[in-house]
Amino acid sequence: MESVASPETSLYHSSGWNVAAACIEPLHNIMVGATEVVLTIDLPYVDQKQVKLRCPANDILEVYAETTRKITFKELGAKHRHGEFTCYHARIQIPVPVDETRINKHFKRGVLEVHLPRLR
Amino acid sequence: MCEPFNYSLILHEHQFLDQLEGCVAMSKRLSEKDGFRIVETSPIPKKAVMINGLPDVGLVGLLAASHIISSLKLAEVGSLESDLLPPMIVLHGGIPKSPVRIFAGKSLVVVISETAIPVSLLRPLANDLVEWAQSNSTELVLSLGGMAVANRQDIDAPKVFAAISEKKLESKLNGAAEVLEEGYIVGVYGLLLRRCAEASVPAITLLTQSYYNYPDPVAAAASLNAVNRILGLSIDVSELLRRGEEIRLRSKDMMHRTQEELAKMNKSHEYDLPPLYG
Repeated sequence: MESVASPETSLYHSSGWNVAAACIEPLHNIMVGATEVVLTIDLPYVDQKQVKLRCPANDILEVYAETTRKITFKELGAKHRHGEFTCYHARIQIPVPVDETRINKHFKRGVLEVHLPRLR
Repeated sequence: MCEPFNYSLILHEHQFLDQLEGCVAMSKRLSEKDGFRIVETSPIPKKAVMINGLPDVGLVGLLAASHIISSLKLAEVGSLESDLLPPMIVLHGGIPKSPVRIFAGKSLVVVISETAIPVSLLRPLANDLVEWAQSNSTELVLSLGGMAVANRQDIDAPKVFAAISEKKLESKLNGAAEVLEEGYIVGVYGLLLRRCAEASVPAITLLTQSYYNYPDPVAAAASLNAVNRILGLSIDVSELLRRGEEIRLRSKDMMHRTQEELAKMNKSHEYDLPPLYG
């Protein structure tokens, strides 16, 4: 499998903390296999019931997850920044087309793993 | 038939030699400038164990070494400076500090970096650290890192592997880690281990199963448990586990910067099968 970094995420990560939307851009990793794409997303402070996925196109996966509690910059040690966060959000470009109707996901130890079958 | 003597070639050779001399002089100047200056602000313990917690896979080493520093209340004793590091400082307690610092106490010297170190600086960093370790008669260089595994979510207790600079160190492991016999190590820890082997400085690199690009406090705790067994310490890792979610979120940006450097150094080479001939 080949690991692919999303260029969109790289740009987004220049901040990664969207104060206006109270959203955090999570770390993620994409592995492209022969038959499927496996995407993992690191989601600390998230309950699996709060994870929502949607594919607006067959090469984009959008993830949204509310956090179990409000997180502030202050508690993360950044006193000079103001802002609080209540969710994660990412719009992830998948490098190959996938079948968005057959998404399989599971959540373990705060990491979401999504299996997306490749379109032939 | 003999070729006519080529005078223009001689001229070119002279020019080449002049240029070569210039290049050698320049490379000497550059090598002095390219390396790290190790600034000692307090006496460094001799014959100590040097622990390296530099940013790498899963930030395992950095998280583990930071936990050692806070648990044992080690004092800051110096820093590493380089003109080629990103132009930044970190503020701690309102005081500007170098992002690459040295802590010491209880016969330990701990080196951590709070910034991702550019790939081009890893070799000079390894060389300068080993030279400095030698000058302090360091008993053991113990480097803490991660070993990325694809199925990390399914692993309850991450396993610890060890790469050692000399065979006799196997007994020092005290069953804490399985020795790696074949394979590749990409990054500063590989360079450190090799340089230590060349300089006859005993060195162990602990590589703990971890996430590749997510901060992994559970792997850091497993690494620390191995350190406890090897050095006969009793550092409590429960705080590291209890604050796991907070640590993952606080380290997110650091992990992202580190991931960019991991990609540049071809870290995925570590997944390759070992070379055919030993």
